[in-house]
Amino acid sequence: MALPPILVLGIFIGLPIGLAFFLSIGYTGGLNEVISIIGQDVRGRDGKLFTLQAYKDVIADPRFAGDLKTTLIVSFVATILVLIFSIGVGLLQRLRGGKLSSILTGLSLTPLFIPVVISSWALYTFYGSAGLYRTIFNSFGLDIPQITSTMLAVIIGSIWTSLPFAILMVTSGFQSVPNALIEAAQDAGASLITIIRTVMLPLALIPIIIVATFTSIGVLGSFTIPYFLGPNQPTMFGVEITNFFTAYNRPQQSVVMAFIVFAAASGIAISYIWANFRSAKESGRV
Amino acid sequence: MANDVQPLNLHTKSMGVKAILVAFSIFMMLLIVGPLIWLALHAFVVEWLYPSYKPTGWTLEWFRKVFEVPTLVSAIRYSLIISPIVVIVSAVICLPAAYASARYNYWGRRTFLIMMFASNAFPKIGLFATIATLYYFLNLMGTMVGVIIVQVLGTIIFMTWIPAAAFAAVPKSLEEAARDAGASKFRVFRTITLRMAMPGILVAMVMSFIYSFDEAQGTYLVGAPQIYTMPTAMYAIVETYPIQVTAVFSILLTIPSVLLIGLARKHIIGGQLAEGFQIK
Amino acid sequence: MANQNGQGLELVGLRKILGGRVIIDDLNLVVNKGEMVSLLGPSGCGKTTTLRMIAGFLIPESGKVFLAGKDVTEIGPEKRPSAMVFQNYALWPHMTVFKNVAYPLKVRKMSKSEIEKRVHDVLELVNLMHHKDSRPAQISGGEQQRVALARALVQEPDILLLDEPLSNLDAKLRVKVREDIRELQRRLGITTVIVTHDQDEALSISDRIAVMNDGRIEQFSTPQELYDAPQTEYVANFIGSLNRVTGSYENGAISAGSDVIGIRPEDVFFSKNQVPGSVAATVTLVVPRGHFYEVYLKRNDAELRAFVSSEVPKAGDAGFANITKALIYRDGKLVRTA
Repeated sequence: MALPPILVLGIFIGLPIGLAFFLSIGYTGGLNEVISIIGQDVRGRDGKLFTLQAYKDVIADPRFAGDLKTTLIVSFVATILVLIFSIGVGLLQRLRGGKLSSILTGLSLTPLFIPVVISSWALYTFYGSAGLYRTIFNSFGLDIPQITSTMLAVIIGSIWTSLPFAILMVTSGFQSVPNALIEAAQDAGASLITIIRTVMLPLALIPIIIVATFTSIGVLGSFTIPYFLGPNQPTMFGVEITNFFTAYNRPQQSVVMAFIVFAAASGIAISYIWANFRSAKESGRV
Repeated sequence: MANDVQPLNLHTKSMGVKAILVAFSIFMMLLIVGPLIWLALHAFVVEWLYPSYKPTGWTLEWFRKVFEVPTLVSAIRYSLIISPIVVIVSAVICLPAAYASARYNYWGRRTFLIMMFASNAFPKIGLFATIATLYYFLNLMGTMVGVIIVQVLGTIIFMTWIPAAAFAAVPKSLEEAARDAGASKFRVFRTITLRMAMPGILVAMVMSFIYSFDEAQGTYLVGAPQIYTMPTAMYAIVETYPIQVTAVFSILLTIPSVLLIGLARKHIIGGQLAEGFQIK
Repeated sequence: MANQNGQGLELVGLRKILGGRVIIDDLNLVVNKGEMVSLLGPSGCGKTTTLRMIAGFLIPESGKVFLAGKDVTEIGPEKRPSAMVFQNYALWPHMTVFKNVAYPLKVRKMSKSEIEKRVHDVLELVNLMHHKDSRPAQISGGEQQRVALARALVQEPDILLLDEPLSNLDAKLRVKVREDIRELQRRLGITTVIVTHDQDEALSISDRIAVMNDGRIEQFSTPQELYDAPQTEYVANFIGSLNRVTGSYENGAISAGSDVIGIRPEDVFFSKNQVPGSVAATVTLVVPRGHFYEVYLKRNDAELRAFVSSEVPKAGDAGFANITKALIYRDGKLVRTA
């Protein structure tokens, strides 16, 4: 019964990724033939089956260092801020409750239902040259520059799109901490901050790690947000991969970059799998 | 006993803490809904000039304008046809697998779910670039089937993970009790298992629909220029039409999602979604 | 407010409303230092709510809580000199046994060596040293219970609060653990309040028992008094076994009347021979109850149950039954014993 999705993923994800991998190390025959002929600067057409030349090309490209830095900084900062915000909202909801926090949690979920294209565009108009953000500052007599086309805008956009999932996960993580465990700490004499540090956060660690993983992987490979909100150069890999593929017609280099992002994402994914394994171990399921 | 019903006695009386909490809440709300409201308002204005807080006038003219543009109308039609098909196709492919995995042993289940997850870790945009090779070979470029496949790829993770958790949460003893009462295997599945897992499946379907309705990168690379859905059309119109038209189009594009919130809100907030992302 | 009892616990006029319902109304209780007191009652009677007000998890609408002579009504649980053992133990799953027990000392910023020593001592006391590096999920329910107890004791609290501490243990273990708790409590001389719905538990380990009903204390006295002279019909029914007959009681015979007569089955005797005050009776049913038998008797004035351990009659036997002691209630209150 598990076969159909595995088959679909195998054919339409596994196969292309496999082909792409072979293309990236210089295999230009078989299904890769057409793309190798159309594309420019394809390495390995001289018949060498295994060459890392395409990787060397990409890394030697002056754009690479800037793109890498931008991608890593944006992913890292956005993930940290998403964690802070979602933990804040989750704790507020769990420990304090009340109307305000319910409204906040409810509102935080709205981006979940808004297509990314629209959120990007909404953020673009909001933080753009004629946006509300500048209008507000203007009424205080401050003429500040727009933040669209900067890294900051990409970070804001990434937070915006990642927040609902993060808040859902973290809130449900905190909700599943039984009252008695919190009260036991209180009874033992712990202050609110100590309770949060020693009981709430460790017990919600798994959902928090899941959030960190999904957010960073999501931001790492994102396209729409940096495309609308980011600077032209340097930009995030998601945009650069597309540029290399469509605008510059250099498919091999674009594939190479995809594998670099994939390697980073895999590293993060391993931490996620480890976290799940640990939780299974703790609750005695393994 | 009554422990979990009674509220925690953690309330602080300090005004400073209260003020910080209120400020944090307001900041979060502004951050989240500010841009949406700002864009939505543009759908109803004649013109809005910086740095004024007020537009030059209000109008509904732009709604009519949108429906006068044939490419936009066709995009709306494509979106409304493709997304339900994507949901059904991915449900048919994934739900049996989700059920099976819920009844696997621990390691089998994990391997399966992690495989699904790994397929999601490869950057989508990289995948869509490489998938072109295969699509040319299979003659799927610019076809509806091609677009549906590309979108199904993204929904698989929702359609396996969330229902798998929902199926796994149905206690085996309930199924056994029904078997014991004389119900056939299929009847047990239909009346007990499926029934109890329904909220999770519903959430998965809603998430899949929204994903499909929202998907732009793959659809663009595979479908354009023959097939434009609403989000891919959006890429094109932001550069050619005034902001008011894009605002109207954005509102139209958001309506189905908002309607679906109403349907599944309770279960999504109730933890079905969060539950689905923990490999148990 | 005068506090006659400088060292134990005093509750004065407590009132608590939860979810719009009055759970506790005008509750008063004094527990002496070193005393072990049970709050006994069916679920929903307000005993847990009372305990949570003592611990500080709930703030009463009105009334005062004094601990060791100090008014703690407005003080949060983290600052109260009380320690609680939770019903499901509430052990933190991410900490080892040692860390669970050390936690209260750690948040008090004690020195490492001092923590080490005190945790060691208390784990020794509950006989758990060999499990100090285990996680709660890896040890048995009885052991978890002892960890929870150790975590409470290590704080050297002025008062120990136990919320249904034995309800998650199997029957055999329950008897052993409750004796252990009692022994430990006596040895340490620690003032203790225990919430339970199990009368056996309350009767066997308490110095005094407060029987609760509907947010009030029906009777607060020693187990013996509670059994011998239950002040209300409710208590008589709740504690031990009771024959309940409506009528008028005179010299071992029951005639028509409106009093409620409560007769303990162990105060009903069946014999083949007539003795003063006995009435002719036949045996209708004999039920073995382990070390005794429950004998159903039919007299012409009432149907009674008797507990018999020797010379057990058979169903159908005819003879005489006499009552040696009866409790007579009017409007639910004890008016006399006879």
